[in-house]
Amino acid sequence: MKPRKTGRGPATEPRASARGHTPRASGKRPTTTTSTTTTTLVELVVNGAKVEVPVEATDRLLDVLRGPLGLTGTKEGCGAGECGACTVLVDGRAVNACLYPAREIEGRAVTTIEGLGEPSGALSDVQQAFVERGAIQCGFCSPGMILAATALLAEHPEPTDEQIRDGLVGNLCRCTGYVQIVEAVRTAAARRAGGGTR
Amino acid sequence: MTRAAAGVPRCAPRGKRGAVATSGFAYHRPTTLREAWRLLAEHPGAALLAGGTDLLVRIRARELQPSAVVSLRSIPELAGAAAERGGGLRLGAATPVADLLRRATVVRRYPLLAQALRVMASPQIRNVATLGGNLCNASPCADTAPPLLAYEARVELRSARGRRELPLEEFFRGPGTTARRASEILTAVRLPAPPPGARVLFHKQRRVHLDLALASVAVLLRLQGTTCRRARLAAGSVGPTPLRLRAVERFLEGRILTEEVAVEAGRLAATAVSPITDLRSTADWRRRIVEVRVRRALVELAGLERAGGAP
Repeated sequence: MKPRKTGRGPATEPRASARGHTPRASGKRPTTTTSTTTTTLVELVVNGAKVEVPVEATDRLLDVLRGPLGLTGTKEGCGAGECGACTVLVDGRAVNACLYPAREIEGRAVTTIEGLGEPSGALSDVQQAFVERGAIQCGFCSPGMILAATALLAEHPEPTDEQIRDGLVGNLCRCTGYVQIVEAVRTAAARRAGGGTR
Repeated sequence: MTRAAAGVPRCAPRGKRGAVATSGFAYHRPTTLREAWRLLAEHPGAALLAGGTDLLVRIRARELQPSAVVSLRSIPELAGAAAERGGGLRLGAATPVADLLRRATVVRRYPLLAQALRVMASPQIRNVATLGGNLCNASPCADTAPPLLAYEARVELRSARGRRELPLEEFFRGPGTTARRASEILTAVRLPAPPPGARVLFHKQRRVHLDLALASVAVLLRLQGTTCRRARLAAGSVGPTPLRLRAVERFLEGRILTEEVAVEAGRLAATAVSPITDLRSTADWRRRIVEVRVRRALVELAGLERAGGAP
């Protein structure tokens, strides 16, 4: 089967596409599951907006996000579930988009880094804490790191340092160092506990 | 599962970025077992996908080139957990690891399993990877296997023709191979009621947190005073399959646990395993880990360090 990536340009306005992507593909619902070259239309919610995207059997969620949806904030690092750069939330839970079959995303809600923060462009509290604590250097791990931290705080609103480290064990950073990252998560948690969101 | 969860060699080539690095396959999402069995019969080269965290990596690395992928993720009867008569627990094979850890019955009644699940791979992988997938990959280092062996779990295999059940010990045949026939689906793992008052300890030896186990040891003890009434031990990454250490169990049961007994049990465990040297560790080191960790587990579980200095 031929790769079919050509012709799928990235969205021209990443911010807009992140929040209100309009479906590229339209038309009747699928197709079939018996041919190896068939594209299936899959409906899902991305950053709050319902979208319908063409998906091939071999696609991963990562391919769909970075390809037809143009959400290139989600990074591909190792492609094998080791580095966590492709971490996104599916129904609120952190997953590796490089290990998630795109066909399984049907009917689910995905949150990417573009979907955090306010429509005005203001950062989420976790993002803000990463900025303030210097927890970002090259930025490649940051989207995945921030989404993993967001999921962690949803499950443990007041995490211990050990819980923070356990929650981020699937995310590698090769330049900032983990100290600032752990501090950022601690800061975000403390502000939430203190009632402030910024 | 990724390498971290299921033992795909680190050197596996990765797929080219931004391009589909696989030969084509059809992707099927049956919603009933019956439909899944039919698909398996129609596509002899099909691969079963539960979490997919290992399978997708292997397909992209071209280690596997299935003609079809049959996903088990939309079959309700493969998910969840249910109490069984007699006090046991039935775990749906396609239940994600994180879901099992959210269940109080698993965490409270089968703490040895919970200990192993918590240190498996990463949160992202635990949210997707399944118990059945971990077992069917049959990696010697599968984290779920030693505790399940210690609990004497059984696996349920079903095909269009019927259902059979095996002790987990008999399910593993070698690295990557199991007793599952191509027409069968692993539907559930059945845990008998846990021994009352059992003390448990799971140890996973690794270099950094996300690593596969260099060696792992699961120990379950039931004591009456200082006498060992029941011992169940299993080890991972130290043989072609996860191993139950029956010789050590026989040695311990009925014995008064002392430091000397713990030392001897460790020695027996080291001779009962057959590790290899590979890129993660050496045979000698793994044997040594098993010896030390079995000894320390017994000392800790029997409270021996309070009596006389810990070894």
